[in-house]
Amino acid sequence: MPRPVKRALPLLALCTAVLALGACGSSNNDGGAAATVDNGSGGQRGGTLTLLTSQDIQSLDPGITYGSLDLNLLSSAVRTLYAYAPDNPTDIQPDLAASAPQVSPDGKTLTVRIRSGVKFGPPVNREVTSRDVKYAIERGFNPHVANPYASTYYGDVVGADRATGGPIAGIKTPDNQTIVFELTRPTASLLAQATVLPLSAPVPPEYAKPLDAKSPSTYGNHLVSSGPYMISADRDGDVLGNGYVPGRSLRLVRNPNWSAATDDRPAYLNEVDFRIGGSPTVSGRQVLAGDGLVLGDSPTPALVKKAYQTARDQIFFSPGAGSRYAALNTAIPPFDDANLRKAVSAALDREQMRRIRGGEIVGEIASHFLYPGVLGFEEGGGQDGTGADFLENPQGDRALAERYMRAAGYADGRYTGDETLQIVGLAGAPDSNDAQIVDQTLQDLGFKTQLKLVDVSVMYGRFCGVPRARVHVCPNLGWIRDFADPQTVLNPAFNGNFIFPENNPNWPQLNDPAINRAMARGELTVGDQARADAWGAIDRQVTATGAAIPWLWDRQPNVFSADVRCVPELWNQGHCDFAYTSLK
Amino acid sequence: MSVGAPGLLAQEERYERDFSAGVARSPWQLFWRRLRSDRVAMVALGVIVVLVLVALLAPLVVKLAGAPGPNVQDRNATDMFGAPIGPTGDHWFGVDPLGRDVFARTVYGARVSLLVGIVGTGIAVLVGVTVGLVAGYYRGWVDTLLSRLVDVVLSFPVLLLGIGIASACSLGNGCVSGVITPGVRTVILVIALVTWTSIARVVRGQVLSLREREFVVAARSLGASNRRIVVREILPNLTAPLIVYSSLLLPQTILLEAALSFLGVGVSPPTASWGWMIADASDNFDTQWWYMVFPGAALLLTVLAFNLLGDGLRDALDPRAER
Repeated sequence: MPRPVKRALPLLALCTAVLALGACGSSNNDGGAAATVDNGSGGQRGGTLTLLTSQDIQSLDPGITYGSLDLNLLSSAVRTLYAYAPDNPTDIQPDLAASAPQVSPDGKTLTVRIRSGVKFGPPVNREVTSRDVKYAIERGFNPHVANPYASTYYGDVVGADRATGGPIAGIKTPDNQTIVFELTRPTASLLAQATVLPLSAPVPPEYAKPLDAKSPSTYGNHLVSSGPYMISADRDGDVLGNGYVPGRSLRLVRNPNWSAATDDRPAYLNEVDFRIGGSPTVSGRQVLAGDGLVLGDSPTPALVKKAYQTARDQIFFSPGAGSRYAALNTAIPPFDDANLRKAVSAALDREQMRRIRGGEIVGEIASHFLYPGVLGFEEGGGQDGTGADFLENPQGDRALAERYMRAAGYADGRYTGDETLQIVGLAGAPDSNDAQIVDQTLQDLGFKTQLKLVDVSVMYGRFCGVPRARVHVCPNLGWIRDFADPQTVLNPAFNGNFIFPENNPNWPQLNDPAINRAMARGELTVGDQARADAWGAIDRQVTATGAAIPWLWDRQPNVFSADVRCVPELWNQGHCDFAYTSLK
Repeated sequence: MSVGAPGLLAQEERYERDFSAGVARSPWQLFWRRLRSDRVAMVALGVIVVLVLVALLAPLVVKLAGAPGPNVQDRNATDMFGAPIGPTGDHWFGVDPLGRDVFARTVYGARVSLLVGIVGTGIAVLVGVTVGLVAGYYRGWVDTLLSRLVDVVLSFPVLLLGIGIASACSLGNGCVSGVITPGVRTVILVIALVTWTSIARVVRGQVLSLREREFVVAARSLGASNRRIVVREILPNLTAPLIVYSSLLLPQTILLEAALSFLGVGVSPPTASWGWMIADASDNFDTQWWYMVFPGAALLLTVLAFNLLGDGLRDALDPRAER
């Protein structure tokens, strides 16, 4: 049984801190930003890049890592089977793999050949084999590692349903260079794409097993590199207190065993230093004015405005950086009534919600849930939307809202029920301001409200992801794809089978049998166009329920110093990819 | 307050004259005369009166100023980057990022501050006086018990306790079966809970000394009940210190409300609160100073006025006290 995809948390965590001034966004109004993505070729070798971030690393273990900043860091330290080039967030390309994935005609077997000559960094210092990849994936099911997406994407592997960290029968390694996945359902294509997530990065069993025996596993503190960079460590490979001081600093240095002949990445930089703990407001200004710096946080709206007006080549807006929506709880009154949901949707001024984050530069006003850059976006309605009238006017349409209120049985167009709606949003501007716009809209429609603004982990962990908390409205939710497939955007977020008592990712608790059935079919659909059609249609179905109000397709701003030639990771949130970025 | 030595001398001379002229004055008349002669305290009192009027008549004040209501979001009052505009003819104090008028919100913010200040202090005084009277009058194990309770409450880290209670009780039906409900009430309760102890200690000390005085002994020998002694003999003698301590406690509670709101556990938005406004503005202070400066100045002015008035009251009620 698949588990919820939690990458929305990191997205929001990052956006909360960084967007404090207004920007996780996307837009074609400034198409130039996306059009001129640098692929980094011809960069200058050497130098140290310093990243300033207010947030600490969540985990260095490739079996656990799921946050945007962590993915940014690990992408230069470990090699997954497949990966996205920084300028192409759609097509996977071989990384540790030697060639394209081979999917059997019945879609139930995936075979991957891996490169020879790739070596682990110190202290392991031996060549990577397919067994290291097999172990890496198996340990994802170990409760001491508890990978957040292993069962979602590897759940169809034969034997994975009973896996607890030991060998999985459906993962075979006929030789050192080959790994074969045998599946119970024809989902091999999706699995190939899922290997871009760090769970498929090799882990040496002889070194990691004693560490994985501890609860929780301490392998993250002994991360063995397979990429161009490694976290500076002592002779035993312990990074804690050496290359990584929690809450303070992290140091990436060159992996002496990395060979450029086995890798497409140029790896220009000699070293990357993380300085952890400053405020995004101060760090942002340092980055704009300083040398060799990049900001790991979302810049505040004021900094985005300043950079946009005075240093355009020091800010990059990454398109396709996720979508934001407000969830209305369909499981309890009053929003079990679709007409009331649509009334709120119709009344909401989504343009103002975007403006307080920084305006057009930080994103497009969303009209459905598959966002630009994700397969199925066009089929879901593209820029024009699905045609749902309640999402047609981005500034809000009061008359239409009143019509829906009347359709719900409120003759004078205002809600007259007695209950007080619980709204739980994110503290800190600009999220808190978005929450207040939703709150005010509800009050204008006659609802009594109680707005609570909390930290991101509290919002998901105690309220919006916990059905028994009976929250009526969550205005500040965000979702980012795990990879370019639409299933990763829609399935956990709106499938009735994903309603859990804790860590529930189906925030509106939408449980529509027709949508659930369509998703079950969509999971097994093969071929890009067929999947785009299937999931685009599901997107339209979900949008039509009014269960959630899409309000922004993010373009995530990233700022860096004038001498940094930043190569943004479009597959992530536009962070500078350390293995491609160079200093001018 | 800072009445200089010559002023004091002049005051004494006046009292002498009054005395020699045979003018009889009640203690309250004397107090009022002394207070009136303290110009700083009178200015502070004037400021407080104006603040109270502004708070009570907030809708009228905002209307007279031609400003929109405190929660009206004006989408045209921000630029294309969402940056709010500064002070203009239409918006005297500028607007916040939601396009809400900072003047209107500062005016309405006075309501929250004064309400929390006055009610919170009122409850703290009520609880503090009761505990202090009982402990000081009955002494023995009652005193031991209550005094240790005061010690325990005093050892709580105030802000941490406030954050804990406020965040536990500020959603849904509140806590303690709905007795503590979300919003201003929770804040008032938290503030009363952590501030009553100082009043209790002062009262206990005073009562311990008063209960041995001749008039109490006299009352007791005439057969007065404990209740009568406490209510009719001791309590009136506590009025002066209570007025002084309350007036000094009040600005503390206003600051505590602002601090709780600043930390996000106070009055819930969109209700305008100075602490919340200051917190909201702190990220953008360098470019959008107005929505921190005006509520900040209002907070400063209010707290300063109450502190100065408190000092003045102390001087006027007990001119012999060492300062």
